[in-house]
Amino acid sequence: MKALSRALPAMLLACALLIVNTAQAQKRIVSLNGTVTEILCALGFEKQLVGVDVTSTYPASMQKVAKVGHNRNITAEPVLALQPDLVITTSNHVSPAVLEQFKSVGVKTVVLTQEYSLEGTCTLINQVAAALNVAAKGAALCKQLETDRQGIKALSRPKKVLFIYARGAGTMMVAGKETSLDKMITLAGAKNAADGFKDFKPLTAEALVAANPDVILMFDTGLESMGGVNGLLKVQGVAQTTAGKEKKVIVMDGQLLTGFGPRIVQALRELTQKIEG
Amino acid sequence: MNKGMKRAGIVTVLVGMLIAAVVFSTGIGAMPISPMQVIAILLAKTGIRVPVAYEEGTAAVLWMIRLPRVVLGVIIGAGLGIAGAALQGLFRNPLADPGLIGVSAGASLTAVMLIVLQSSFSFFADSPLLQYYLMNIVTFCGAVVAVLIVFRISLRNGQAIMSTMLLAGIAINALCNAITGLMTYVSTNEQLRSIIFWLMGSLGGASWRTVLAVLPFVVLPLIFLPRIAYALNVFALGEREAMHSGVKVSRLKTQLIICATMAVAAGVAVAGVIGFVGLVVPHIVRQVTGPDNRILIPCSALLGAVLLTVSDLLCRTIAAPAEIPVGIVTAIIGTPFFIWLILKEKKSLAI
Repeated sequence: MKALSRALPAMLLACALLIVNTAQAQKRIVSLNGTVTEILCALGFEKQLVGVDVTSTYPASMQKVAKVGHNRNITAEPVLALQPDLVITTSNHVSPAVLEQFKSVGVKTVVLTQEYSLEGTCTLINQVAAALNVAAKGAALCKQLETDRQGIKALSRPKKVLFIYARGAGTMMVAGKETSLDKMITLAGAKNAADGFKDFKPLTAEALVAANPDVILMFDTGLESMGGVNGLLKVQGVAQTTAGKEKKVIVMDGQLLTGFGPRIVQALRELTQKIEG
Repeated sequence: MNKGMKRAGIVTVLVGMLIAAVVFSTGIGAMPISPMQVIAILLAKTGIRVPVAYEEGTAAVLWMIRLPRVVLGVIIGAGLGIAGAALQGLFRNPLADPGLIGVSAGASLTAVMLIVLQSSFSFFADSPLLQYYLMNIVTFCGAVVAVLIVFRISLRNGQAIMSTMLLAGIAINALCNAITGLMTYVSTNEQLRSIIFWLMGSLGGASWRTVLAVLPFVVLPLIFLPRIAYALNVFALGEREAMHSGVKVSRLKTQLIICATMAVAAGVAVAGVIGFVGLVVPHIVRQVTGPDNRILIPCSALLGAVLLTVSDLLCRTIAAPAEIPVGIVTAIIGTPFFIWLILKEKKSLAI
């Protein structure tokens, strides 16, 4: 009896461990999309992630996780070499042929559709949560986002914001309608200065002057590639806009600004403050 | 050493190289699989059980992913090699390459258009895999149509004029490249990445299905071209001489174009544009075998297969887990060798 009572805690502990283990099902997850990675971490699966793509820059712990190539040219073998039991991604990120390969090897592959809106973020969170059997956690996270969103101060006046994507002065594109950036600018209560077209279009000096944005928005890496604000002002047409005259160029982290993940409210708050500021 | 012996020797060496390339490529990759495990997994497929432990997942990766990729590399490499040899014979010019008659440009144009305009088509958007196969089919058709146009332009009284074909090829290439450039310009970032990757070639995404899809298009020319190799030898003397020796020149030209287009178009359709193999391989082989097409064509197939298999092995291992487009690797491996050959030739000319 005595022996039993001494052994009981150990046995209970063993049982508890067993339960925890089966609940987590020894998951080895590979995420091929930065936003999905953020959601997984927010749902508490940080430790189970064994591989991510290069867009998975947040949270910082992801820097230590194995990288499986850029999302556009991910091939099957490096992913499968990590022996995942779940590969999770969004539909626009991995080529159909590679998805087919995952399926042929028998690895559970979840492909989700991402929509750039607050509802889309919630849907994505719920889908990820459902795939990992933690639906309640997903719902709680969504609720939290809704609550947090109420706290964002609206803009005092709807300024015209133009997003410029740059990789050096040679490659400069403007974000038009139906881009994640257009949606963010609109959500922040501002107006996208480039509303005459869909998707990204190369920037021309005349169109820039015609659009005449009050604020120019860029990724921090993009502005860096231009050589800072002064480099940007050297681009034809920039100096003639209101934003150029007032040197009103704001930058944000790319994944934060366009992720539409759990940090969307944080991103919106930062964006409104910077547009206002 | 007589000619027959020498030829048998060359073929043996190339076959040995190809076997070595295939063995290494099958054994090396992101997923660590030991040589014994490779043998055990492959034997298990034939029903022979060997007492070597391996995981189910390892077997699946080797059989479903790595092996089709290696086999696809062998097939496409061989196809590019013979297509190059056939076209160099047709143009009687060692600098001809499959791109010359518009195959790659036509394929690129249709592929890039499909990538960019895909968002505008919604009738098959619900099936990504269908899109993928559609891409292969459309690309193949694009390649064939481009060659057909070049060929039609060069006809006079039912005879293809080679110099006109060359000019027509240049024109069609320029036109296709211009439209491809335009498409690149209006593409989004995501699309641009797909386009660039496609234009540089990749054997990723290979499955047994793609292998089977490409196989007939390469095997038929592989069987057929050696049979017209002798006629091609006579053709090298000049069109008129060939006609007098009883070669049906017009038919020969058509056969060569069809074979080369088939082999290259099928390869381009599933793996994108892989440059350099078709130009350099026959050239290198010619240095060793001499200009006789009966030996040049089979050897070009073998060396093409070796070059592409080795290049693909490098491209997926150098920067793992990322992949370098295989077209870049073929050029990097092939160029020094090519330059060395040119220099060697120059010396022999100077004497």
